[in-house]
Amino acid sequence: MGFPYDEASWSVVDGAMYMGAGGAMPGLFTLIAAIICAAVLIFGQKTESAKTRQFDK
Amino acid sequence: MEEQIAELAAQVAALQSKSGVTNTMFAETFYYLTIPLMIIIHAGFLAYEMGASRLKNVLSSGVKNILAFAFMIPTFYFFGWWVYWGFPTGLPGAPGPAGISGVEYANAIAWGWGESAQYMGPNIADQASGVFFGAFALFAATTASIMSGAVIERIQTVGFVILAVVLGSFAWVVAAAWGWHADGWLVTQWGVHDFGAAGLVHAVAGFFALGVLVNLGPRIGKYNADGTANHIAGHNMPLTVTGLMLIIVGFWGFLMACVIVPGEAWSWFGDKPSTIYGTPITLSALGFNILMAIAGGIIGSWVLTRDPFWMMSGALAGIISVASGLDIYFPALAFIIAFSAGMILKPCATWLENRGIDDAVGAVTVHGTIGLYGLVMLGVFASGFPALQGAAGEVPTVSLIGQIIGAVVFFLLGFVPGYAVSLVLKMAGMLRIPEGAEIAGMDMVKVPAAGYPEGIPAPGINLAPGE
Repeated sequence: MGFPYDEASWSVVDGAMYMGAGGAMPGLFTLIAAIICAAVLIFGQKTESAKTRQFDK
Repeated sequence: MEEQIAELAAQVAALQSKSGVTNTMFAETFYYLTIPLMIIIHAGFLAYEMGASRLKNVLSSGVKNILAFAFMIPTFYFFGWWVYWGFPTGLPGAPGPAGISGVEYANAIAWGWGESAQYMGPNIADQASGVFFGAFALFAATTASIMSGAVIERIQTVGFVILAVVLGSFAWVVAAAWGWHADGWLVTQWGVHDFGAAGLVHAVAGFFALGVLVNLGPRIGKYNADGTANHIAGHNMPLTVTGLMLIIVGFWGFLMACVIVPGEAWSWFGDKPSTIYGTPITLSALGFNILMAIAGGIIGSWVLTRDPFWMMSGALAGIISVASGLDIYFPALAFIIAFSAGMILKPCATWLENRGIDDAVGAVTVHGTIGLYGLVMLGVFASGFPALQGAAGEVPTVSLIGQIIGAVVFFLLGFVPGYAVSLVLKMAGMLRIPEGAEIAGMDMVKVPAAGYPEGIPAPGINLAPGE
């Protein structure tokens, strides 16, 4: 992604200084992180249900 | 009119003086408070190791851990602090471009005798040296505690303390001088960036532990004749998990101590905090990224293990995986990297276990493997960031190659002394306790106290709900 300012110098940084600042990547990372959370919950529910069903009387 | 201007000037001077006092007091208090926060790390390691030990070894594990802390502080005072300031440029200890390194500089500020002793004791004109020393001594103690968990239930106390001193007051200090100092050659020549010490604390300590484990060997009963591994459960999982949570709490102090506050003569900036490299950072960056990393690590570990021990280890791994770039990661990216670290944690530990390495708490993986993983990940995502103040071309930039070189150096700085010193101790009969003592239990053999004098009630049956 590189340094988020045209000039690669800390002296020009006066605001956001994270990787991908000012571009589309932070939004993409946020979307991926949210998808991970949802996917883990779906996977977790599925596998845990399968385990608990083994104890159904 | 002139009188009024003179009065105004006097008032401005008084205000500046008061402001300076406030800033100095804030700076001193800032680092002072990191010390008890980092001691919480040691409360955590103590609980974690004792919980991971079997009943017959619970107190001896505690004794070992407490003693490591106690020896780390004076040895770091005697020579560790001097090593940090003396060798950032490597051997023979020449001064670096920032003018705050080299043997001559270290001789002037870091020995507890002669002229330099004025900076190593109470001094009304020096409100920085003691709190800086304290924070660094606690970093040192953390490295010893990382190694401590891996070797429980079979190591000799004195042999362990010698290893702890070599790691905490020398090996990691060399790594810090080279990669965590504005004059460090890994920084000035390769642009290595390791803000939160994923490589130079965690990886060095983790691979030092690996070097020791190779010579120490597994606990009796860990492996079957066919080479398959048995799980040796600790006596108190809740204590272990709580200990891990305390380590997480203490890490806020650890990472806070990696920040250089502004406005002092030794600060990089007058108006904003910086990293140890002199690049800008905010505590808010830590707030965002540490929390997202803890969450990502826990979730990643839960997916594969469902085990609270590995989930809390995953929290730790999450922080370590992004520690190198906590100053510049975007929080969602930190979450993703930490999630991946949590996912690979248990498989990496199992891989090591299947090769005959009995790491009782997974320290080599959590701190060593994930530390290097984090260091390299930063090279993937942060290439092009200036590693020091100044513009690209004038100063080095972060790069994948630089981070990989840093990872290799940190691995060697951990593994080689860990292996070499433990080999010498093994040959001297100072590494491992005798077999009979190990089977009997180390508490019975050498601790004149009982962890649970009345035993632990265990019903041994599953009660139905309501019973």
